[in-house]
Amino acid sequence: MENFIQLLVQGILVGVSYAVLSAGLTLIFGVMNIINFAHASFAVLAMYFPTFWFLQWWGIDPFVSAALSLPIFFVFGYFVQRLVISRVIGRPGSETATLIMTMGFSLLIENMILLVWSGAPRIINESYTIATWRVGGVLINHAQTYGMLASIVLIIGLFIFLNKTTVGKSIKAAADDPEGCAYMGINLNLVYGIAYGLGIAVTAAGGCLMATYRPFNPFYGETIVVILFAIVVLGGLGSVTGAVIGGLIIGLVQQLSSLVVAVSLQNVAVFLIFVICLYTRPQGILGKKERAI
Amino acid sequence: MKAATGNRKFVWASNYLAIIIVCVLILLLSVLVGSDRYIQRIILLIVLWVFMCTGFNLISGYGGQVVFGYMMFVGTGAYTTVLLFKFLGVTPWLGMWVGAAIAVVIAFFIGLPTLRLRGHFFAVATIAFPLMTFPILNHLGLEEVGIPFVGHGAASLQFSDLRYYVVIAIILLGLSLSLTRKIERSRLGFALRAIRQNETAAEGMGVDTFRTKMITFLLSSGIAAIGGTIYAFSLLYVLTTHAVFGLFIIVKVLSITIVGGMGTLWGPVIAAAILVPIGEFLTAQFGARFPGLQDVVYGAALVATIIYIPEGIWGKISKSYYKRRRKEMATQAMTGTDESPAISDEFVFNDLQLSSNGIVSNEPILKIENVSKSFGGVNALNDLNIVVSAGKLLGIIGPNGAGKTTLFNVINGYLKPDKGRLLFEGQDVALLKPNALCKRGIGRTFQVAQIFHNMTVIENIMIGAFANTRNANEARAIAEKIAQKMGIVNRANDMAVGLNLWETKMVEISRALATHPKLLLLDEPMSGLNPEETVRIGKIIRGMADSGITVIVIEHVVQSLVKIADLMLGLDEGHKITEGKPEEVISNSHMIEAYLGAKWRERYVKS
Repeated sequence: MENFIQLLVQGILVGVSYAVLSAGLTLIFGVMNIINFAHASFAVLAMYFPTFWFLQWWGIDPFVSAALSLPIFFVFGYFVQRLVISRVIGRPGSETATLIMTMGFSLLIENMILLVWSGAPRIINESYTIATWRVGGVLINHAQTYGMLASIVLIIGLFIFLNKTTVGKSIKAAADDPEGCAYMGINLNLVYGIAYGLGIAVTAAGGCLMATYRPFNPFYGETIVVILFAIVVLGGLGSVTGAVIGGLIIGLVQQLSSLVVAVSLQNVAVFLIFVICLYTRPQGILGKKERAI
Repeated sequence: MKAATGNRKFVWASNYLAIIIVCVLILLLSVLVGSDRYIQRIILLIVLWVFMCTGFNLISGYGGQVVFGYMMFVGTGAYTTVLLFKFLGVTPWLGMWVGAAIAVVIAFFIGLPTLRLRGHFFAVATIAFPLMTFPILNHLGLEEVGIPFVGHGAASLQFSDLRYYVVIAIILLGLSLSLTRKIERSRLGFALRAIRQNETAAEGMGVDTFRTKMITFLLSSGIAAIGGTIYAFSLLYVLTTHAVFGLFIIVKVLSITIVGGMGTLWGPVIAAAILVPIGEFLTAQFGARFPGLQDVVYGAALVATIIYIPEGIWGKISKSYYKRRRKEMATQAMTGTDESPAISDEFVFNDLQLSSNGIVSNEPILKIENVSKSFGGVNALNDLNIVVSAGKLLGIIGPNGAGKTTLFNVINGYLKPDKGRLLFEGQDVALLKPNALCKRGIGRTFQVAQIFHNMTVIENIMIGAFANTRNANEARAIAEKIAQKMGIVNRANDMAVGLNLWETKMVEISRALATHPKLLLLDEPMSGLNPEETVRIGKIIRGMADSGITVIVIEHVVQSLVKIADLMLGLDEGHKITEGKPEEVISNSHMIEAYLGAKWRERYVKS
């Protein structure tokens, strides 16, 4: 029983951390119809810079880095969209082209990290990294808990931004009807740039938080990105709320699966859920029902 | 007769000679450079990667369904062969076919759910499968499997000289390139290109899209598996999950195919000949100091190609070649006689060997019984009953949102009715897929033209003709005859993307005619045309009906429709309001109200 509660707690902690990462992915997908395959790689980049190196160089706390990463990666993402991705959007077959292109990005990011900072696994060593509270027989990690609280703040912030500000409303409008927005005088390119930047920024911050309790290497993103995609599909494409629910489900499945199978097969359980989802309710993944012709 | 065989021989040679020449040249190169392992390794890598790319290219390049999980099949092939060899002593020559067979079976079960998904979802969905297999194999203790060395020899596929592997790989490459070329020119190839450009239209024109994608997917997976086996035996002493199930496989295959040109035969060959040596050189020179340099190059090549030359190197070359050739042909035509064809004003289609061949019976060809269809609470069709007699021209009018196009989508199978029966020639066809309905004789055009932009006019029409024949030459003959008839033969070899509105409509009608329809659905054929063209298209439609094709036309240009229709039917809010002779329908007070509002009805009734 204790074991079960331990895994339940762990599942929620992991699930929220995934939810932040997939919130950005689902936002970018919802607005631009792009599956951003480089998504997790941006998060891994944020684990190195600013998180790891700011701590090494100047002793800046990773939680401060998480806040700093928001503007840094917003600008980075904005320019990536405006300078590179926007050239491909609108072409026939752009959905697949952007997917392949972002795979190219992830290849570039991962291997640049490898080139510059080597492939050695890194770990953040702060007081909270391994410290735990003991509640009954259940152990709760400090860093993970702080990370979860920060993640909740991030998600609520994103939610408020999208629903209450003019820019946020423009983003939502552009997701709904880009053509209509263009006619209403909304600068679509600008909105797309902001949406991409925002998605990357949230993800990067999520990456920083994750780095506080997890060892990482340049290729850490390869496995996560498909888990994130599974979450986005499970939660309904383009919905931030869905990403939170999907994240929790996947986090719980991943952790609780070790009750039945070996720990090394955790992700098999996750992908199995994804595959079952494909077989049973493909409409979730078919996206908006377009009028046939 | 002799000329015909000679011609056929010429075609065969032009199809396959280049492939043979290239393979022989690589072979010569390999033999001439001697037994230097480093260089032989690069040659072998080039040939092997191109071989794996040909499999990927079939489904992803020609068919447009990018398989990110391609390594699933490479890994399956490699692991099956090696495990059979290691534990049961089965020779790799047999094991490789077992591996291919298992890969094909796996592909079938992966394809069942995923091939229904479109574009980028399919791509990411397929990647879940190798990611799932990876940890399972590791868990089973198969993360690393040493390939047992049983002595050099052909039986165990273990050679000390890499050139033996090069020979085997070249033979396989020759076969896969020839297969690709054969598919390119066949019905399957045409179907794949149509699917890549417009899956919905392809399905409506008789292409069984799911089956086409599945067959190609299975072929691709088989090629991947065989490639995996040769890769494992020639270059790996220890088979690891990372080496054959890892992302690195798809990165290589994808980069080479994209840089060379998706859906081109020679693209991957050229790209591999450039990228593989560069990558190997960088790894050999700087790999120790700068790990990951090779993948940076691949990543940069991938991104740059998609931005600057999305059609790839070979796509670019062949595009500019065709552009030049067309220019030459155009100048030749200018100096020659006036080639613009005389378009007859008589549109008689009896000689097109259409299925009904002018026999007009009064049997109902189509019966719609109590059909309803709603979209989330909106009733697009509401308990509709329509009977269409064979050989008649039925015009359907109704205000926007009346359910006209929805009705067409139900008749040709794009939408399934929520309830009710759809009887075509007496049989309930409500559950058939659009391609099956097309083959039974329901053709259609679309409100917004849905042509295949990157195919020529003749190829567009051929897609329709393939509904009735498997033979590409026959399909071309049918298409040419129809193009002649419709007056677009002068644009036969032009890409459809550059056509004007009239020509586009003619291509669409021609393509529908090529399917040999008994029932033809035309969705607003007159919209956007000038008055002169409107009259002409009216004559064409009338001509088709007079040749025995039952025609249903949706149209807002009511005056023109009245002149040609035998019968008319008024729809509003999914209900049938009225039907009968054209004059009766257009003077029906409800129809006037539906179109123009209550005020006009009162005025009309008063006057």
